[in-house]
Amino acid sequence: MSMSASGMTRLVAGREISVKLHDRGFLISTAVFLLVIIGSIAVPALFFSDPPQLRVATTAEARPVAELAASLGAAEERPPGVPEADITVVDASDPVAALDDPEVDASLSIEDGTVVITARDGVDGDLETLVTAASSTLAVEEAAAAADLTDAEVAALVAPPAPAVTLLEPEPDYAVPPQVLIMVFGFLFYFVVLTFGISISQSVVEEKQSRVVELLVAAVPVRWLLAGKVLGNSIMAIGQVALMLAAGLIGASLTGSGDIVEQALGASGWFLAFFVVGFLMLACLWAVAGSLASRIEDLQSTTLYMQLAVMVPFFAALFVTDEGPARVFLSYFPLTAPLLMPSRLVTGDAAAWEPWVALILVLLTAAVLVRIGARLYAGSVLHTSARIKVLAAWQAGASRA
Amino acid sequence: MTDATLRIDGLSHSFGDRRVLDRVSFEVRPGRLTGFIGANGAGKTTTMRAIVGVLRPDTGAVTFGGRPLDLALRRRIGYMPEERGLYPQMKVADQLVYLGRVLGLSREDAVRRVDALLEDLGLAERAQDVLHTLSLGNQQRAQVAAALVHDPDVLILDEPFSGLDPLAMDTMAARLRERADRGVPVLFSSHQLDLVERLCDDLVLIHAGEVVAAGSAEELREQRAGRRYRVAVGGSPGWSPALAGVEVLAVDDRGTVVELDRAADPQDVLRAAQGAGAVEHFGRVMPSLSELFAEVAR
Repeated sequence: MSMSASGMTRLVAGREISVKLHDRGFLISTAVFLLVIIGSIAVPALFFSDPPQLRVATTAEARPVAELAASLGAAEERPPGVPEADITVVDASDPVAALDDPEVDASLSIEDGTVVITARDGVDGDLETLVTAASSTLAVEEAAAAADLTDAEVAALVAPPAPAVTLLEPEPDYAVPPQVLIMVFGFLFYFVVLTFGISISQSVVEEKQSRVVELLVAAVPVRWLLAGKVLGNSIMAIGQVALMLAAGLIGASLTGSGDIVEQALGASGWFLAFFVVGFLMLACLWAVAGSLASRIEDLQSTTLYMQLAVMVPFFAALFVTDEGPARVFLSYFPLTAPLLMPSRLVTGDAAAWEPWVALILVLLTAAVLVRIGARLYAGSVLHTSARIKVLAAWQAGASRA
Repeated sequence: MTDATLRIDGLSHSFGDRRVLDRVSFEVRPGRLTGFIGANGAGKTTTMRAIVGVLRPDTGAVTFGGRPLDLALRRRIGYMPEERGLYPQMKVADQLVYLGRVLGLSREDAVRRVDALLEDLGLAERAQDVLHTLSLGNQQRAQVAAALVHDPDVLILDEPFSGLDPLAMDTMAARLRERADRGVPVLFSSHQLDLVERLCDDLVLIHAGEVVAAGSAEELREQRAGRRYRVAVGGSPGWSPALAGVEVLAVDDRGTVVELDRAADPQDVLRAAQGAGAVEHFGRVMPSLSELFAEVAR
C-alpha cells in the first residue's frame, strides 16, 4: 500500500484534469474563445493588407505624371500623406478604350492642361493622392524652370524641409496602445479565473452532494484532497491562459504584426507570473465556497463574494488608468495587484523593483488565505446536510486542518 | 495478523445538546458477519462514520488487532456510506479505478481488480457507462465494488441491502459471507431483520445511542428466550396443562405455548403432555429477531 502526499495530490489533480478534459461544455467554450481570438486578429489583417497593386494606362502626354506617381508610391521614404502603392504603367492612346482591358484599373490623360483620371466605377484613393502629388510636383518644377531657379532652389520648393520635433517626455513607440493590452490581459484573466474558480467550487460540492467525499475523507487527509483539487485546476487555468496567449501571438505573427508580438511578449511575463500567484491566492477560497454549499444550487450564493473578488480587480484595471496614489495603492493591494502592477509596468509607470515587492505581498497573502481556506474546507466538507456558516466551519475545522 | 478483531470502545458523541452515542462498545470478530440493528436514529450510521474516521467522536476509541485505527489502518477498511458515494458523471470503471488508486493500488492492479469485481457483480457490460445512467440496483452494486476494490481487511457497510432485488440480495449475501470466511470482520447495518437473522453470526442491537445487546446471535436469543415452551400433543389439539407455575400463552394448530415461572420444571410439563397423548413436539420457543428488536426498542 503506497501513499504519499505528493502522489495522492497528483492523483486527485489528475482526476480533476481528466474530468475537465471530458467536459463538453468546457471544450466548446475553449474552442469558441480561441476562434474569437484568432478572428479578432485575422479580420483586421484582412483590411490592412498589402499596398494596392494598380495597373494604370497613360497617354504619351500624361506619361511623366504616371511615372512620377509610380515612383512616389514605390519610394522607401515617402513624404507625409503620400501612400504606398505598386503601380504598373502601360501605354495607351485612348484613355477610354484602354479600360476595355479588365487588367487596367484607371487611365491618365491630359486635357486642357489638366490631368484627367478615367476609371470605371471609382478611383482608388491612394492612386488619386499619388497622381495629385505627382502632377503638382511637376507643375512646381515647370514653374521653377520658367523662373530660372537653381537646382537647389527647385529642390527646396518641391520638398520643403520638415520641422525638427523635440519631445521633452517622449512616449514609447507602441504597436498597440497599452490600454488595449491591459484590457485584453484583464479580460482573459477574468474569464479564466472565473471559469476555474467556479470549477473548483463545483468539483467540491459535487463530491459533497454525491457523498463521495465520505469515501475519500475516510482514506485521505483532507488537506491532500484540497491540494489536489487546487493543483489540477491551477494547471488547467494556466494551460488555458497559455493556450490563448499562444493563439493570439501566433496569429499576430502570422498576419505580420511582429511588433505587436514583441510588445505583448514583453508584457506577458509579469502578467503570467502575477496570474499564477493570484490564482493560487484565491483557489482555496473557491474550494471553501464549494464546501460551504450542500448542493450545486447553493453555489450561486456561496460563490458571490468570490465572484466579486475577481470582478473588482478587472474593473479596477480597466478604469483606474491614470497614474496616481490610487493606482499605486491598487498595484500593491494583494487582490488587485495581479492586474494593476503589470498594468503599471506596461504603461511604463512602475520601477523595476516594484513588481517584486507586489509579488511578495501577494505570495504572503496567498500563504495566509491558503491556511484559512484549508481550515474552513476541512471544517465544512463533511457537513453534508445543509449549508454551513463560515464561523461554524472555522470552529469545526480546528481539529481537522 | 494474529488478531483481526475490530474493537469499538466507549464511543460517545453529541450533536449540540443531543447525545447520539452513549458509550458504545462492541466487537466485530474476524470471520464473522456482524449485523448492526436498531431503529432509525438509534446511532448506527454515526457509529459507522466514527469507525471509518469521517466523524470524530467526542470520546472513545476504535482499535483493530489491538492497534488504534490510524490513517494507514483506516485505508484498509472497505466502507459503504449510507447515502452512497460515487461520482454521478463519471464512468463506472473509471471511478472505481480512481478510488482503488486513492486507496493505494497501482493503476494496473486497480484496473485488474475493477474488471474482476464488475464481472463478479454482473456489471461488466455497464463498465463504460456513466454512473447516473444505471438503475439504482446497479448503482448499489457499483458501490459494493467501491467498498471491495482494494481487498479490504475490514468491511463497514451501511445498509448494503437496501434497494436490492431478492436475487441481488443473495449475491451480496454470498459476497459478504466469502469475505467473512477469509477472516475479514464484516459489520453491516440493515432494517431487514429476517435477512440479518438468516445471515449473521453476531448481532449488535443499538437503541437511542446505547448498545443494548451484543454477541453471538445464538447466545442472544438463548438469553432472551426465557422459559417458553411449545407442546403439541397428537389427537389433543386444545391440550392445556393445569400445573402450578405454568401459564398458557397461546393455543393454535401447531400446539400450545406455555411460559414457566422459575419454580416450575419443564419435565413436569412433558410428563403431563405424555399423559394426555402422543407428544409430537416439545421444545423451547426462540424469539425471532423482530421480537427481540421489538423488545429492546420498547
